[in-house]
Amino acid sequence: MTDIVAIIVNGLVYGSIYGLVAIGMTLIYGTLRILDMSQGSMVMIGGYVGWWALATHGVNPLLALVLAFVVTFVVGTLTELVSVQPLIGRRGEVDFEMVTFITTFAVGILLTNVALQHFGPFQKNVPPIVSGNLDVYHGVSISYHELTMAGVSVLLMGALGLFLARTRWGFAVRAVAQDLDAARSLGVPVSRLYPATMGLASALAGVGGVFLGALYFASPTAGDLPLLQALIVVVLGGLGSLTGTLYAAYLVGLMQAFCEVEIGTTWTLPILYTAILIILVIRPYGLKGSPSEARL
Amino acid sequence: MTAALDVSGLVAGYDRTVVVRDLSLSVEAGKTAVVIGPNGHGKTTMLLAISGLIKPMSGSITLGDERIDRSSAESIAGMGVVHIMQGDGLFADMTVEENLLMGAFVSSSWRGRRETLKRVYADLPVVESKRDQKARTLSGGERRLVGLGRGMMRPARVMLIDEPSLGLAPVAIEAVYAAIAKLRAESGATVVLVEENFTHIGGVADVVHILETGSIVRSGSFDELSHDRTVVETYLGSITDVTT
Repeated sequence: MTDIVAIIVNGLVYGSIYGLVAIGMTLIYGTLRILDMSQGSMVMIGGYVGWWALATHGVNPLLALVLAFVVTFVVGTLTELVSVQPLIGRRGEVDFEMVTFITTFAVGILLTNVALQHFGPFQKNVPPIVSGNLDVYHGVSISYHELTMAGVSVLLMGALGLFLARTRWGFAVRAVAQDLDAARSLGVPVSRLYPATMGLASALAGVGGVFLGALYFASPTAGDLPLLQALIVVVLGGLGSLTGTLYAAYLVGLMQAFCEVEIGTTWTLPILYTAILIILVIRPYGLKGSPSEARL
Repeated sequence: MTAALDVSGLVAGYDRTVVVRDLSLSVEAGKTAVVIGPNGHGKTTMLLAISGLIKPMSGSITLGDERIDRSSAESIAGMGVVHIMQGDGLFADMTVEENLLMGAFVSSSWRGRRETLKRVYADLPVVESKRDQKARTLSGGERRLVGLGRGMMRPARVMLIDEPSLGLAPVAIEAVYAAIAKLRAESGATVVLVEENFTHIGGVADVVHILETGSIVRSGSFDELSHDRTVVETYLGSITDVTT
């Protein structure tokens, strides 16, 4: 029983943070048809913002999260303007998906190196958002930090869902994802919508970065593993499908927790990747993606 | 006798392929101009150039007294050009109602969207009965009606309608043209409607233009042109069942 509770609690916590970092990638893939490889550096930047705000300036944790959101929103918007926007008009002549894969990756590496130059290679400790532990069930405990991380992630994903389902600009994002020319003919300003969408996705990863920074460290390469995990979750969920991304995030989270509790940490990654390999070979378009590509 | 829309010397196409060459067309305010011609001769390209979805290579397009041929699609939409695209241009995974609401996206229309929506539903009861269905689940005729309904969601100065009968069964075509007649009567908009032949346009056309290999080759009234055997034989090939 303790095992089951531990697996579920940890699985949900992992799943939530995977979901938060990955859902931005799905949002970008759904609207722009690109895999944004700069998402990892947004996690990294979020970590440094958390370190700067919490460790060196003693800022209120909530304010630190808002700050990380704003900073990564701006960086994400600029990344789009620099590495994606110039190529949009030339979609017909180039392999847009492949080229932007590389250009956003290049921006990510640049940002990593800027962090390396500025902050040095050493890891920085980020204090937790909330300290203390909660005893869930007979010795299964969870830190308030992780609990907050899961809560904020779910809250932000819910807010994103409401934004897309209810608001004028949310409609516009989905419309652009489904029929670009029709959306333009109805007056949707695509040249502003694309950067803003990438800013929003980056901001979600940035907030995730503050939490992950406290869980691990802030460092120039802190975004590398989250990027890889997000990529896996996004592909497993079916590229461009938001619900698929959620399923995949929690599935990966629960599988990871199961391995850690039942088999041992060293086996977690091999087992996880074997499972993903099998799932993708059987369903190459992911859990929720359709063979004809899911669209938001 | 003011022209609501004036196209002059338009050259347009895709990449290096010129489709529309030296096309000139002037439409009087409140009138419906129907452009007919064989497939692949530039009807759709002309409409795409007017609404800014492709950039004209040369020539001028004037809306009222404003040049729009260098403007972006979104600003042209904001000026009151409504483009009902070929093959509907519906958002397949959005509901019918969400599709309609997108028709009111420009900020001046968004505020009054609920009232407009009621009016459109009153005009098109079939559309209202499908309001919560995803667009992809609709039949071709229903989709076309939703497309027209979406075009009615904001005030139109100029409405561009691309082959509304394309691929539909005769009953559905009748319903679509009934909706177009309503739309013309209510909006008072200037309309440019494109079709492949004379078959369905008798009731709506104030002026008919024949488009061939990228430019307008004949203009006249519906009666005049549809009864002119040389027009029918020269430009429209095998079509013989000309109706009035």
